[in-house]
Formats: sequence, C-alpha cells, structure tokens
Amino acid sequence: MKNGRDFMIVTNNPLVEKVLSKYYEVRYLPEENYRAILITVRDLVYAGHKLYTHPLSGSVKPNETPYKSVVVSKVPHKMNADEAAIISNCVEAYDKFTPRNRMLSDKVLGDFQLIDYTLLCGAVDYDAAAGLSKLDNQI
Amino acid sequence: MKLELGFIEIKDIQFSNESKVENGTLFVNADDVKAFVYEDDDVKACVKSVCFDIAKPGESVRITPVKDVIEPRVKVEGPGGEFPGVIAKVDTVGSGKTHVLRGMAVVTAGPIVGFQEGIIDMTGPGAEYTPFSKLLNLVMVCTQVEGVHQHEYEHAVRIAGLRAATFIGELGRNVTPDETKEFETLGIREGLEKYPNLPRVGYVHMLQSQGLLHDTYVYGVDAKRTLTTIIYPTETMDGAIISGNCVSACDKNTTYHHQNNPVVADLFEQHGKTLNYVCNIITNENVYLADKQRSSDWSAKLCRLLDLDGVIVSQEGFGNPDTDLIMNTKKIEQVGVKTTIITDEYAGQDGKSQSLADADPLADAVVTGGNANMVIELPKLDKVIGTLDYVDKIAGGHAGSLRPDGSIEAELQVITGATNEMGFNCLSAR
Amino acid sequence: MSYRVVHYINQFFAQIGGEEMAHIAPELREGAVGPGTAFDAAWNGEAKIVNTIICGDSHFAEHEKESKAQILAWVKEINPDLFIAGPAFNAGRYGYACANIALAVKEELGIPVLTGMYEENPGADLKDKVLIVATTNNAAGMRKAAPTMAKLAMKLMKGEKLGASCEDGYMNNGIRVNFFEKERGSRRAVKMLLNKLADKPFTTEYPMPSFDRVAPNPAVKDLSHAVVALCTSGGIVPKGNPDHIESSSASHYGEYCIAGVENLTPDKYETAHGGYDPVYANEDPDRVLPVDVMREFEREGKIGKLHDYFYTTVGNGTAVANAKKFAAEYAQKLKQAGVNAVIMTST
Repeated sequence: MKNGRDFMIVTNNPLVEKVLSKYYEVRYLPEENYRAILITVRDLVYAGHKLYTHPLSGSVKPNETPYKSVVVSKVPHKMNADEAAIISNCVEAYDKFTPRNRMLSDKVLGDFQLIDYTLLCGAVDYDAAAGLSKLDNQI
Repeated sequence: MKLELGFIEIKDIQFSNESKVENGTLFVNADDVKAFVYEDDDVKACVKSVCFDIAKPGESVRITPVKDVIEPRVKVEGPGGEFPGVIAKVDTVGSGKTHVLRGMAVVTAGPIVGFQEGIIDMTGPGAEYTPFSKLLNLVMVCTQVEGVHQHEYEHAVRIAGLRAATFIGELGRNVTPDETKEFETLGIREGLEKYPNLPRVGYVHMLQSQGLLHDTYVYGVDAKRTLTTIIYPTETMDGAIISGNCVSACDKNTTYHHQNNPVVADLFEQHGKTLNYVCNIITNENVYLADKQRSSDWSAKLCRLLDLDGVIVSQEGFGNPDTDLIMNTKKIEQVGVKTTIITDEYAGQDGKSQSLADADPLADAVVTGGNANMVIELPKLDKVIGTLDYVDKIAGGHAGSLRPDGSIEAELQVITGATNEMGFNCLSAR
Repeated sequence: MSYRVVHYINQFFAQIGGEEMAHIAPELREGAVGPGTAFDAAWNGEAKIVNTIICGDSHFAEHEKESKAQILAWVKEINPDLFIAGPAFNAGRYGYACANIALAVKEELGIPVLTGMYEENPGADLKDKVLIVATTNNAAGMRKAAPTMAKLAMKLMKGEKLGASCEDGYMNNGIRVNFFEKERGSRRAVKMLLNKLADKPFTTEYPMPSFDRVAPNPAVKDLSHAVVALCTSGGIVPKGNPDHIESSSASHYGEYCIAGVENLTPDKYETAHGGYDPVYANEDPDRVLPVDVMREFEREGKIGKLHDYFYTTVGNGTAVANAKKFAAEYAQKLKQAGVNAVIMTST
C-alpha cells in the first residue's frame, strides 16, 4: 500500500503532469532539465523531504532522455543521511555521461515521456495503461 | 526436482515449404510461423506485420534494433510447457524432459519506441562482444499497427516472439537429441543428508522490474509485483522467467539468457562436487525505495532461513539496481552468508569515473562484465536486418553515431548482451 | 635505430654499497648498470639504456629538491625516449625516490616513465600518477619483474595502447580497461565464491571505492550557547600566504586568529587554492570562509560564539593521509579550546 497522500512528484515531464496531477501533488518544472530536476530533488531532500523513489529509475541513460520524475514527500519530515547520499550519488552518476547532442523528434520525445511515465507509475502503483486511456478519452 | 535437457544441435537454418528439423538442419516455412504467431488476439490487434530473415555466424549482417532473443525449446515429458503463464498454462515446470534446439535463436527486432537498443553484428569487432553472433538466428522483424499504444505493442511483440520460438521448438519434439544432460535439485533435508560436508550455496537472481521496456515476468507475473521468493533452478530452463524486452541492450537479460542462465549452469557443474547448490532466490529491483528495502530484507532473510553458506548475486540493469545490489550484498553478508556478486560498470568513456552508483566495503568479491561506456567502432556491414534509423538514438549512440559510410561509433552499451551481469561472457575489466 | 632509455637506480643496485653508502649524491654513468643489463637483454636491441643515474636513497630523501633538479637537468640533456626507475621491491625510500623522480620527469619533461615496486611500498601511493609495475617484495623477484617492466616499457615507447592492469602487470590506477578473460563471468564468480568460503585468498575484479565513513556525532543540544569554529579546505589564508601553504598537495595547515575580525576583506585575506578560479574568493574571502555570516549569527544569538581561530588548508590533490593527519592534530586543539562544533567549508 503506497501512501499517495504524502507524495509530491517532482517532474519536467508533461505527460506526468497531464495524467497524474489530478491524483497526486505534482511539482511540474518544465523549464528544468534532467540534471536541474535532480538538483531540485537534492535540495528538497537536504531540507528534510523524504525520498520515495530512486532518482536513477530506468536504464535509459541520463544523457539520453530529457525527462525525469522523482517522488518525494509533500512536506519535510526528518532529514535522512542515506537518502541524501542516494540523491547526491545520482548527480555524480549523471555527470559521468558524455552529452549526446542529439535533436529529438516529437515522436521520440513522446516515447521518452512515456517511459518515464510508466517507470513512475510502476513505482507509485498507479495503473499506467488506465491513465493513458483516460487521457485518450478526454480528448 | 529433476529435469533432463535433450540438446538437438542445429547446424543450419533454411527457408523451405515444410517446417521440420532433419539431420541438424531447421527447415522453416515462414508463413507457418507467421500463422501460428497471429493466432493470438493481441498480436492480431497490434502487430501490423512480421517478416522473417536468417542471419548466420560470419555473415556480414547487422541486426538492429533487437528486442529479445529466445531459444526454441519444447517440453516432451512431464508437467507444464515452455513459458508457463505466458504461452503454456501456469503449471510448474522444471521437471521431466525438455528438448532444446541448440545453436540457434529466434530474434525479435523492430522499433517499439523511437529510441532503440540492440545491435547484433554477425561478423567484425561487434561480433566479439555479443554471444548471439555465434548462433544461427531466425529474425522476426515486427512493425506496429498505427494508433496502438506502445505498452500494448510491446506486450504483443513479446508474445509474438515467444510464440515463434514455441512453434520452432515444437519441431524438435520427436527428434532424438544429440546429447542429454540431467539436472537435479534435492529437497533441503535430502541435500543435507547427501552432501553433509559441502558448503550450501544459493543463487540470488535479481530481476529488473521498473516499467515499460524494463520488465521481467515470472510465470507471467510482472516481477514488480512479486515478493522475494525461491524457485528451483530447473524452472528457469523451461522459460519460467522471461524478458519484457528492454532498453539497455548490454545489460538486460534476454529470454535466452534466462533459459541458459550461466550461473545456474556453472553452479550445477560443481553441485555435489565442491558445493551443494540449494536453490535460486529471485528478487526484484523496483524504483520505490521502500520496495527495495523490503526485497533486500527478504533476500537476506531467506538466505539465513535456508542456512546457506554463500550465494552468487547477479544484477540486471543500470543505475538504481546498483542500490539493490549493494543492499542485497550488505544485508546477506550481515546475516553471516558470504557473497560473490556479478555486475557491469559505467566508468565513463575514459574509464575514470566511479563504476557503480552505490558501493560498500562488504561487497569485497566482485566479478565484472566490463565497462559499458567503452567506445567501439563498428564497420559498415553488407546487410541490415531491421533498420538503422534508430542508431543515433539508441542507448550509447549519439548525434553522428551512424556515419555516412554506414559505420557506427557508439558505446559498448548498444550491443545486445555485451556486458551481461549473469556472467554470460568472458568480457571483464580491471 | 633503437629506443634510448635512461635508468635510475640506488647505491645498492649499483653495487656501490648498502646502507652505509646511502648518502651518495646523484651520479651519471654511461650505459646500463646492475639490473639495467636485464632490461637491455629483454629489449634485445630494440631499446637500449644509454645512461644510468645512481643516487643514494638517503640523499634523495634529505635533498629531494636538489637531487631532482640535477637529475632532471641530466635527463633533459640526454632526451631519452623513456625513463625507467627501479624496480624497488620493498625498499621504502628507494620506492619513494623511484616514484617521485619518475613523476618529476613525466610532469616536467613530458617523457614517458615507468617504475616497479611491491604493492605495499610507500612509493606506490603515486600509482595513480605514475605507471608502476607490481613486483614481489624482495629482489628475488627480479627474474619476473625485469621482463614485465621491459615489455610494458616497450609499449610505452611505441605508443601502443595499454591493456588492463592485470594483463600488463601494472598496479591498478583507477582507469577501467576492458579485456577478455579466458573463462566466463559466472564461472569466475563460482570459483571466487568457493575460495571465499574456504577462507582462501581471492582477488576482486572491482575494488569498491573506500569511503572512510565517519559516524556523525549527536546534534549539538543548544546552538545558542555553543562555541563554533570555522575550518576550511578552500585555502583561505592571510594575504601573502605567510606560511606558504601549497596551492595543491598541501603539506601543512594554517592556524590564524580572527578575534575581533568582523569579516574577511581582500586587503587582508586571499585564497591559496589552485584548484578553482580564485577571482570570487579573492574579491571577498567570506565567500569561502563565512566569517561575516557567523558574526551575524553571534549578534542574533543563533550561536554562542565564533571561535577565535580558524584552521585552513588546501584540499586540491592533497593526500587523504595528510588531510587526516592535519585534522587529527587541530581537532585536539579545538577540543582543548572548548569548541563544541565545527563548520568545515570545502570547495
């Protein structure tokens, strides 16, 4: 059972914002890139927000996808040194990848959004497919 | 539980009117396979077309983008059938007799999302890095019905591949195997009585379980939803664990890897001689931190409950699974069970960065599958099965990865199975 | 035309004498001396030692600057294709000399270098900076060390790519290199586990980075009455750097009084750190050592008092062992002075 009430999803992924903002608190930061999202999460964790998901979700490498979603607690609880270590290791991991310098088509961006979205849904136990069909039906 | 594998050596594959295995040659009628594959409703709804091709070792052929690699097998005696819970019913497998068409594989290829992984080169420097360049490959290239969602399509391609392998495997049912080998796991008490002085060894098998193109299925159950549990090693030989296709070619375990798990094979080789191979413990790699904690706590708990002396731990994937790996290792060592772990590395293109995203001094016995960031040059090959459209965008590729002359400069990551973390290959690093 | 090599050895291997001759100053000789002949034999004409430099181990240790200067001058003139030192096996001062002179030749003259010694030799601390072949711990290992060193030396001279550390015999220098083992990973893992279970020695293929985790002390109960000290590895020093703290690989730390100082100003303070752009730190040294903010906290009653002394060193390339040493020393001083907490700024 996942405590969805305490979740805050920090993300730059528009698909996440579209589908999940009705059900969870979403801090949508579209102007932040992958690394900036990690830094925002890091600052929140340092301030005492609990880290719910591992920021290096998925095997799509940090220099390949522009999208990143991480779940932290809505309000600060108690600062946890292990969680701080996890998020700072993630920033280091990001920095060891060489920039790819690729132009990504809308379709490819859409696919990266989808992967990040399903990884997030898998983590919070939200039915990814159902979310997408709800979105389809709205349009 | 005892399983006898009967190996039928496949030395050639040819398209023909009749589908059969004769004198070591697989004759296959592509339309027959296609018809069988399309008997599934999901495949009908989502897969626009499948077309077949053959790639042989040494040929100047590049297969890309690769989704999964599957070995054709068929259960000839005993309960259940291959790929329980997915193709066959959920009956427990791993006993009786299974025939294996050895020396070949069914390879599914074609895009699922717009960035793809997976290159298999059948010759040249790239061939050195993938085990699949040594197999006769029956490649099934799939295309997507427009408008179908990616996750539905992925599911359909997965089923299509497994069905194709099932059809081919069935052709080996009445063929006499060239070699048979028996694998037996004893019950706990029997094992203790038979091998009182041998160290009790288990295999903690970590399964990637994160989302679309990052999943693994156990008897058809999404590994994300599983609790750490025990299975018989022989169950994996009948396809109990299959790959949900994947996004990082070098370190995702294909279904072929699961069927031919090298840790299982090498532990069985020593079973009864230098160790008592007790069982497999399967555990997942979820993104949710509390899940990681639960899964690793349970791995350690089971190791202790089973009174194991030592375990091999194999990982799957990049990034957050490093945290699972270290959690598992630490907790298992802390309950007094010794570990040796198998992983791969992302040490940057210059080899100077820290290889893993997590670490602990208790992980003092490590086997590595190599640095996946190493840059490699793949020459132009004469034929491409699939499409080169995605090479620039695959994991490990970059703008300009695919050169105008058809050669590719990319990281080792792009090659299917290159840095496998079950220890399938000889590649290592220091 | 064969490659030209300069070889560095000590008084013992030059057969001049043992400990009693360790004080001799550097001398330059023609051709190979002592173990150098083993290298020449291994190279079989493809390369040749044109000069040998001999130096007493004590002399090098006690007159490092001058010895280096003399040796560098000679090597510069000879301009060889390679500089090779040792092997030093387990001789500590000899290993130190070999590693340091090799590093100097590499950095100042840009000539490829190679040395060899036992893994526990103190000189091996430099294995990340200088290529060091791993040898046994005594001279009986010469039979194996010489050909390994010669082979690796030839690769360097030819400009060939190096193999993985275990393939070419050099000490793991933190750069991961892929190569193919004879056996697959799972089999290597089973063997490794069996050795581990039997308490037999085994070698991990990936040494975990050592973290030296320090368990945090309990939180300060009442900060408003606490004495807090500022320390830094960012290299803030009084203007002019009176104690000459090095801009990298610092060999000592500084202790400076800030009683009555309200904030650090550029006319009185600067940074000695060579690892970051100093402009902003020199403009306002408070940016690295925030005395101004601490004084504010004092006034507001957030902290009891800012300690009168700050401790500073430069963290740029400074050896972990040294960093530990400095802190262990001044931590005692802080304790004796009644300091309750420390803010360590790093860059």
